[in-house]
Amino acid sequence: MWRWRLPGPLRPGGGQGGLGRITIPEKPKLKFMDKVPAVPKVRREPRQLRDIRGPSEVATDFTEGQYGILALGGGYLHWGHFEMIRLTIGRSIDPKNMFAVWRVPPPSKAVTRKSLGHRMGGGKGPIDRYVTAVKSGRLVVEVGGRCEFGEVEPFLARVAQKLPFPAVPVSRESLQEMRREEEEKRLNNQNPWTFERVVTSNMLGMRKYLSPYDLRLKGRYWGKFFLKHRV
Amino acid sequence: MAALGGGGTRWRRAWLPALQLLRRGSKAVTRHWKAMHLQRQKLMAVTEYLPPRPAVPPRCLPRPSAHGVQEDGQARVLRRQVQDTLSASRMVAVCHYNPMADEDVATFRHYLRKHGIHVKFVLNEIARPVVAQSKFRNLLPLFVSRNILLVSAEPRAREMLRVLRGVPQVILLGAVIDGTILSRRGVENFAQLPSLEVSQGQTVAALSLLPSQTSSLLQQGPARLTALLDEHIRRLRDAGAATEPPTGNH
Repeated sequence: MWRWRLPGPLRPGGGQGGLGRITIPEKPKLKFMDKVPAVPKVRREPRQLRDIRGPSEVATDFTEGQYGILALGGGYLHWGHFEMIRLTIGRSIDPKNMFAVWRVPPPSKAVTRKSLGHRMGGGKGPIDRYVTAVKSGRLVVEVGGRCEFGEVEPFLARVAQKLPFPAVPVSRESLQEMRREEEEKRLNNQNPWTFERVVTSNMLGMRKYLSPYDLRLKGRYWGKFFLKHRV
Repeated sequence: MAALGGGGTRWRRAWLPALQLLRRGSKAVTRHWKAMHLQRQKLMAVTEYLPPRPAVPPRCLPRPSAHGVQEDGQARVLRRQVQDTLSASRMVAVCHYNPMADEDVATFRHYLRKHGIHVKFVLNEIARPVVAQSKFRNLLPLFVSRNILLVSAEPRAREMLRVLRGVPQVILLGAVIDGTILSRRGVENFAQLPSLEVSQGQTVAALSLLPSQTSSLLQQGPARLTALLDEHIRRLRDAGAATEPPTGNH
């Protein structure tokens, strides 16, 4: 197909972390994740929704691949989501030249559910399924190999749309760019009043209406949601 | 009615609003967007991001040349290719190209290739500077929108027109044949001209017509005389033959 426009200037190819050679691992497709862990939990555990709240500390940067899906909100991934991701990415990548890698552990948190139509009481419900908790800013999968972002972006975007939390496909450069923009916004903010400043110095007794977690979250997170537009 | 005091019910002893409010209402992390307290809403509104505003809005400033001096190697190569093509071919036809199916394009190229005509797709942003600086600068207005060049070393206009007539998606705009710029009608007229050999033969024939007539002109007099004499002899012989037998019979 003849292209009627000149392609843009070539950017220096970013290999895996800058390496020249790209090695495709032996099993390039995503590993199968179990529905239930090998040792199923006997004791039902409390809900602990704090594993969804706030920014992620783990898996925030790329390790092996060049492109990935970044979570922009908190949520739980269950086996259905894992299968969807595995099959979609497995269908869309070329195993000879591309590979994909999980950045989330298999489901291990037991979530209970009471049977429908019953009144409150009668104890905690039985274990319904197992889930993985994902916080904002965490990478879910990574894809790498001899491919461009433009090839990978469409199917990653389709996968990202089906996840229970907002997610975007990113590449190493685009993630860096995102972080740089955030930092720039923080530095060139013309508003002298920032959430952080008000909370840390408890101006106007605001801490009466805020949570102690807001000291850490600084107004960018509300529940499981990540407020991207906030500074 | 026991007096309420230290020995009262435990609900009256200590009441912390944080603990009490937690009895009703949802948890911190919910599936829905939890309604914020009004004070918190006000705080969020006050602490929003304000982007920096330059003294002169960028719309009022003159536009900086975005592309500037970025010389692309690929553009250079393509420009060189176009230059070589233009200089090496005797016939260059500029056509407008409407999108066709790939197999139709392949068939079109095949038919033209049989007559030795090459099809070159050109990008206007490369072709325009090249054409402007070469001797074909009057062709510059043709290089708008999607163009292809039909180039060949031999000026095969008739075959080219025949193929183009069968392909309605490619429209001939103009051509340069042997350094002469021709419009569409000019190309059609050029195609109707006989080929070089035929016209040379015709010229030779026209020039040698008079010399070839000279010998016959010169021989015309004596030839007529000879014919007349022959006729006369024949008549005399006939007359002699007619009169003799009667004298022979005496």
